[in-house]
Amino acid sequence: MAKVRENNGKESNNTADVSPFQIKDCALIVSISDQLPALNLREFRERVASCSIDAIYHHFCETVLRSTFDDPEFHNDFARWARRGLHDHVLAERLEVLNPYEYADLEELRKVVLDILDDRLSELHTISWALHDNQFFFHSATTVIFDTSLTIESPEHLGPAVSQMTTGSIYYHFWEARRRTPEHTDDFTEWLKGWDGKGEKMITALSHIDFYYMRLRELQLTLVDLFNEISGNGAGK
Amino acid sequence: MRSLREYDKIVGPAVLNQLEQLAGNLTGLKVVHVNSTKAGGGVAEILSWMIPFMRELGIDASWEVIQGDDAFFNVTKTFHNGLQGQPVNLLPSQIAAYEDTNRRNAEHLRPILEPADIVFIHDPQPAYLLNLCPNRKGKWIWRCHIDASHPTRPVWKYLRPLLEGYDASIFSMAEFSKSLPHPQFLIAPSIDPLSEKNIELSEEEIAGIRTRYNLDSDRPILTQVSRFDRFKDPIGVIEGYRLIRKFSQAQLVLAGGGADDDPEGAEVFRLVEEAAADDPDINILMLPSDAHRTINALQRCSNIIIQKSTREGFGLTVTEGLWKGKPVIGGDVGGIRLQVINYHTGFLVNSPEGMTQKVRYLLNHENMIEIMGIKGREFVRENFLLTRHLREYLTLMVGLRRGFASRLIAAA
Repeated sequence: MAKVRENNGKESNNTADVSPFQIKDCALIVSISDQLPALNLREFRERVASCSIDAIYHHFCETVLRSTFDDPEFHNDFARWARRGLHDHVLAERLEVLNPYEYADLEELRKVVLDILDDRLSELHTISWALHDNQFFFHSATTVIFDTSLTIESPEHLGPAVSQMTTGSIYYHFWEARRRTPEHTDDFTEWLKGWDGKGEKMITALSHIDFYYMRLRELQLTLVDLFNEISGNGAGK
Repeated sequence: MRSLREYDKIVGPAVLNQLEQLAGNLTGLKVVHVNSTKAGGGVAEILSWMIPFMRELGIDASWEVIQGDDAFFNVTKTFHNGLQGQPVNLLPSQIAAYEDTNRRNAEHLRPILEPADIVFIHDPQPAYLLNLCPNRKGKWIWRCHIDASHPTRPVWKYLRPLLEGYDASIFSMAEFSKSLPHPQFLIAPSIDPLSEKNIELSEEEIAGIRTRYNLDSDRPILTQVSRFDRFKDPIGVIEGYRLIRKFSQAQLVLAGGGADDDPEGAEVFRLVEEAAADDPDINILMLPSDAHRTINALQRCSNIIIQKSTREGFGLTVTEGLWKGKPVIGGDVGGIRLQVINYHTGFLVNSPEGMTQKVRYLLNHENMIEIMGIKGREFVRENFLLTRHLREYLTLMVGLRRGFASRLIAAA
């Protein structure tokens, strides 16, 4: 991908001295957590209470970057296991509806998950069990982040640049950004704050994306369409 | 030898740039892979592309193969069977043969392994080398390619103390991981889409293979490609096929070869021939280990790929079948579960009867064969091609060099 350069800034105005957008990329290596696997709902509850916060993050947020089939029904591993391991449809539905990005931090998300598990335990007369070869294994991951040396000079160039990104870059700038930016938003929004005109329109459009239910490729196409449409670059696909 | 840039059309340039950027942190790193066979089986196939590509990316990678006699490979087959849950006995004389062979290999491997920055030991065959390299400088990683979810006690009791000495281990699935006192990572294997085994073939070449093996293009072809190994359940496939013949004129192909480190292949092949009797529609093909294009063509001329294993580390033949746009009916075990998703890429089955029923369903819903084929190929493109595999190894190596944390910022 060639370095994306300035095109005279005809459409957006740089309200301050905004630095170019630095395109980063990331790669994931998944590891088994120290926690023992869970074989039944009670064990699962105990492990969720004591597992690392990175494990909570992995099972809710990093699933999109993993080499697994994109299950159209479930977007977090806890809901998936409740359905496919414990065969508890009610619990699976309650867990699936959780959007981790609606919570101030991951500890708050953990509390909500524990509440759901405690409610379910109090409703059941017998503890649900999984088969031995369908235990829940707690994972976490190391994300290696690196600079691609590529930059984006102005909002008009976002569409073409995003279309050339890897899913690792999309993940880093859109999902992972929510864990590190002060307002829990994405890197594009943060950068576009320095631009008025189309930059502001893009920020509004970005805030309306229901990204949690998208695969990374779908999100990438959505972003490309959005940026190109507002920039007047034509269709993104 | 191919260059990584040749994969540009399949995965896109950004994916290749990503590999180069990651590898930029590993330039000159001395990495050695050790296994027990240069040909036959998935491990040798993976290493045959991984080493040149690591070198292309600036890593000083090499591949060593330990040499052993029949006694050694009989013991390591016992390890293999035991790790996969088959009841086995492990005699002191077998352990002695195993350790002696590793000791002999260590004599010439020690100068290569001890100064290496990272050593990947593949499967149990060379695992004892760790104890024989006391002055090792780098990190030693045990890479398990086997479905070790239910190991038998005698084998695990012997191997576990050996494996505890490693700095980390890698499994294909979490279910195969064990209680070990070091970090355990998950890396699924992959296929090379430009290898002889997977490259696109002309219709003429495919038709030529069909003719060579007397396969009728007007009738469905069901194919299982795998070593002649009990865990691949070729006899179960024949049982299922006999039930299929009650309603379909389908033909069955059981194609495979032996691996240098598998002494049981000939015996299993004999049992399979016996089970097939003289059925002219069961084609049992013992192919040489380099018959990659033949296997490629057989998979491509098939309607459905079968992989009815009862234990499976990952099942690269499943990946190969999906890549060729075929639905796969696979045993509900091991790595097959990662790849075969019911009603999306194929079906998981637990018995010959289950295989029969799913074949019957697909032969009566030809549109599903096509839909699953398209979905399976895209699934492999995104998850199980060598570029993803290489990226995870590079990421792991960056972590090994830098120390693991939830986030690592690599050097520019």
